[in-house]
Amino acid sequence: MHWNSIRAKVVIALAICLIIGVAGLVLLMRYSFENNSRALATDSVTGAQKLFSILEAREISKMDALGGVMIAHPQVREALVAKDHDRLLQITAPVFSRLKGQGITNLVFHTPEPDMRVLLRVHIPSRFGDSLNRFMLKEAIRTHAVVSGCELARAGFAVRVIQPFPEAKGGVGGYVEFGEELGQFIHTMKDQTGNDYGLLLSKKYLDRQLWSESSTAWNRRDNWDDNATFVVADQTTPADGLMQFNGDLASVPEQGEVLERFQHGQQVLVRGLFPIRDASGNIVGAMFVVHDISGFYLSMRHTQNVLIALAVAGLILITIFVLTLLSRLVFRRLDHIIHVATRVVGGDYATEIQVSSEDEVGQFERLFEQFRRVFVDVLSHVPELQEK
Amino acid sequence: MSQLNDMKLLIEAKIKADGLDAKDVKGKISLKSGKLFAFINETTPDDPESVAKFKRAAKEVLNMSL
Repeated sequence: MHWNSIRAKVVIALAICLIIGVAGLVLLMRYSFENNSRALATDSVTGAQKLFSILEAREISKMDALGGVMIAHPQVREALVAKDHDRLLQITAPVFSRLKGQGITNLVFHTPEPDMRVLLRVHIPSRFGDSLNRFMLKEAIRTHAVVSGCELARAGFAVRVIQPFPEAKGGVGGYVEFGEELGQFIHTMKDQTGNDYGLLLSKKYLDRQLWSESSTAWNRRDNWDDNATFVVADQTTPADGLMQFNGDLASVPEQGEVLERFQHGQQVLVRGLFPIRDASGNIVGAMFVVHDISGFYLSMRHTQNVLIALAVAGLILITIFVLTLLSRLVFRRLDHIIHVATRVVGGDYATEIQVSSEDEVGQFERLFEQFRRVFVDVLSHVPELQEK
Repeated sequence: MSQLNDMKLLIEAKIKADGLDAKDVKGKISLKSGKLFAFINETTPDDPESVAKFKRAAKEVLNMSL
């Protein structure tokens, strides 16, 4: 097959079609994958945000109920009103050890205002007598009602519920505060969704020294210097480097933000985050969401490979079909014309060109047969040939 | 004497010896050389260009050196 033959040109044209088709297919698959992975990431962030809200509401409800039980306990009330630290610890320590299994990490009793101080931290009994200046406590003093929400202390972030102990004669005899570290939420969220989560806290609301001390107390690596503006308070994966964010947590949009798709070893992951506000409305941190789309990616690659294989096979079949069709309709008939023309020139004046169809090649066959007859007629009048 | 005619006779002998399709071979050589085989005889003039074309055609069609 010569390179300038129609067969070669048809094969080249179909090969170009194949390359363009496969390239288009790959681009289309990539585009679809990008869109779908972004949609999956958006769903993961939105879903995580909803799940976080549900867990927060559930835990607040639980701690609210626990507060009610504590307030109704006469011995606890008496010890609090009497500001009897040891007695209060003796009564509440066994309860707290059971509550720890329910996720409660903080149980604090506060004396009433105006000289409001920590009477007892059941979770750290040795630290008491200090005065706290937190928004939620101020709100509890202001309203004498139950106050709940997330609040960042200098070394950690927790969902808290503060309840006043009302006195029979009016006024407040003290406050009880339950708290649950938000770091625990992410493990529950991972159990429910399979995604990995990280709790990021803005450094400007944390105390460097306390962060270091709490890291030591909780056997946590002091990761203060890992990132410029935030620390990773907790994460569900031991893999470092998954929680990467270069922006300002305060600028993360309310509905969350999808970051990018990336590869970690054999895994293909997408990540995003949503802001976490404290009880006063400040964005003090963010929840980082990492969703594994390896299965989806492999499925896309498999589909892409199948489609490419089908496209190649299909185009090869089309090429064979087109060449067979061209051979029957054009090439063979042209070969026959060439063969007859050659023989006529060689002296065979009897072989005729059979007009096999009325198509374009058939018209050429007819014309050539007419030409052949004229040629033979001319030769029949040449004297040299007549002598033979 | 005509060189073209001599070559024609050699070609006809080769066709006969090899049992080739005479009309087909003569037709191909005629088309390639531009000289109708049937018109070549003892009186055909030997212009160098025709002789060269005829030799080339014989070489291409029959792989025959004349």
